[in-house]
Amino acid sequence: MREVTATILENKQIAEEIFALTFACEEKIPVRAGQFCMIGVGAHPLRRPIAVCKAEGERVTVCYRLKGEGTRTLASEYKAGEKLSVLLPLGNGFTLDKKQKKIAIVGGGVGIFPLISAIREFSDREIRAYMGFRNKAAVCMEYEMLRADKLVICSDDGSAGFCGTSVQAFKEDLFGFAPDAVLACGPTPMLRALKAAVKGTGIPTYVSLEERMGCGIGACLVCTCKKEDGSRARVCKDGPVFEINEVEL
Amino acid sequence: MADLRVTLCGKELKNPVIPASGTFGFGREFNEIYDISVLGGVCTKGLTLERRAGNPVPRIAESRGVILNAVGLQNPGVEAFIAEDLEWLKSKTRVFANVAGSTLEDYAEICGKLDGLVDFIELNISCPNVKCGGMAFGIKPETIKAVTRAAKSSLKQTPLIVKLSPNVESIPLNARAAEEGGADCLSLVNTFTGMAIDIERRKPIIANNTGGVSGAGIKPIAVRMVYEAAHAVEIPVIGMGGITRAEDAIEFLLAGATAVQVGTQNFTDTLACPKIIEGLNAWCDSHGVNKLSCLTGKLELN
Repeated sequence: MREVTATILENKQIAEEIFALTFACEEKIPVRAGQFCMIGVGAHPLRRPIAVCKAEGERVTVCYRLKGEGTRTLASEYKAGEKLSVLLPLGNGFTLDKKQKKIAIVGGGVGIFPLISAIREFSDREIRAYMGFRNKAAVCMEYEMLRADKLVICSDDGSAGFCGTSVQAFKEDLFGFAPDAVLACGPTPMLRALKAAVKGTGIPTYVSLEERMGCGIGACLVCTCKKEDGSRARVCKDGPVFEINEVEL
Repeated sequence: MADLRVTLCGKELKNPVIPASGTFGFGREFNEIYDISVLGGVCTKGLTLERRAGNPVPRIAESRGVILNAVGLQNPGVEAFIAEDLEWLKSKTRVFANVAGSTLEDYAEICGKLDGLVDFIELNISCPNVKCGGMAFGIKPETIKAVTRAAKSSLKQTPLIVKLSPNVESIPLNARAAEEGGADCLSLVNTFTGMAIDIERRKPIIANNTGGVSGAGIKPIAVRMVYEAAHAVEIPVIGMGGITRAEDAIEFLLAGATAVQVGTQNFTDTLACPKIIEGLNAWCDSHGVNKLSCLTGKLELN
């Protein structure tokens, strides 16, 4: 991980309330799927932790939803050519072993973006991706998700693709596909539904968690999550990716 | 190249910049980004006798110019720190062990375990986020004196720093109480108790409801309190509260601080401390100051 002064190449809206920010670092930064960065925004004392969606050489793309003051400032005040203070790459990211050849990817909301990095990194595997959106207006980055061998777009209101959640679509396909591993990211209720769906199947399921963070590097113990054994793990350093049965959701 | 060295309780620090407790862990993570041996010292995460899991999340929130936190003293316990991190940290720089407890006996016992092993002990009697964080001891002069005495009674070698709370009636009275109890040094300010509300959910953002406020926005209050403390006692004072750059650190020195701690800014910029050290050097050079420590207490009131 390192402190980088990056140059913004593009910061544009790609769907309802969703922006894609691409920046160039001074040098090539190796980023693994599921890792994230901390981005300094204006005079805000806390940096914003945002998952990396795409990393190619020195170019990195992150996507974010307009949520609070920080993301609104990021969207409105940061234009191409401007400098950006970034700390990256952070966290453990998704890891698969070579024997895991059939991979199901289940995403919802802004959780789809770190999974796009997984679709890219594990392109040598057979991937089925189930990606959930609120509605048609929220659908974005389809061209990236189409790298998967099968893509199921899901929408809560049925305005795009499968009508229902990505976990429902995944469940319908589960026994037909029989994946060797599941990678997931999304809102906590979605992850809880996924935990119930994979229960008893023995399929290793890795989820990327989100939490309010302080330092982003594991020092301040702000962003901890509760593990099933009662101990606490740091989302930023020990995660953000955990085996789903290892953590309380 | 100015002389940035300062002397605290007879021990020399290579410069007066110390990351504040709770923002820096035991230094290992920041050391992945820069060599922490450039620092004057490191103040550890608050240690307790037993390991503690801390508060539920969210533990942090932001407001204009400040943050709020309520981590709740999550730490592996003093024994684990001594066994796993102390030797490494000592090889890097001066170690300030921040300690907390819920009884006078806790404070005496934890100090006894660390005596002679660390360079300084910083007594946390002002953690606003947990019942047993010593806040009960940190409000009134009588209890400050008592807890300082209890800690001091187990210390034969290591100097004792008492960290004062700003959530009190009188800083000068509390500073004097710590001095009378046997403190070798004071540090202040700890965080101000605050609340930030998510108006959509109509709930506090932090799970603990209240949290400790820190960051640039508290600096003028902290400077005033450091000034008051430094002028109330003979022992040295470590100043902190909203330092983001070298010029802020110099304000605290002029107000009477011998050294400074930097907390929240470590989150804003992981390189904050080394940048402040470089900035102090540059400021001294451009202002013809050969020895930084000469600035301590040099404030001239209007």
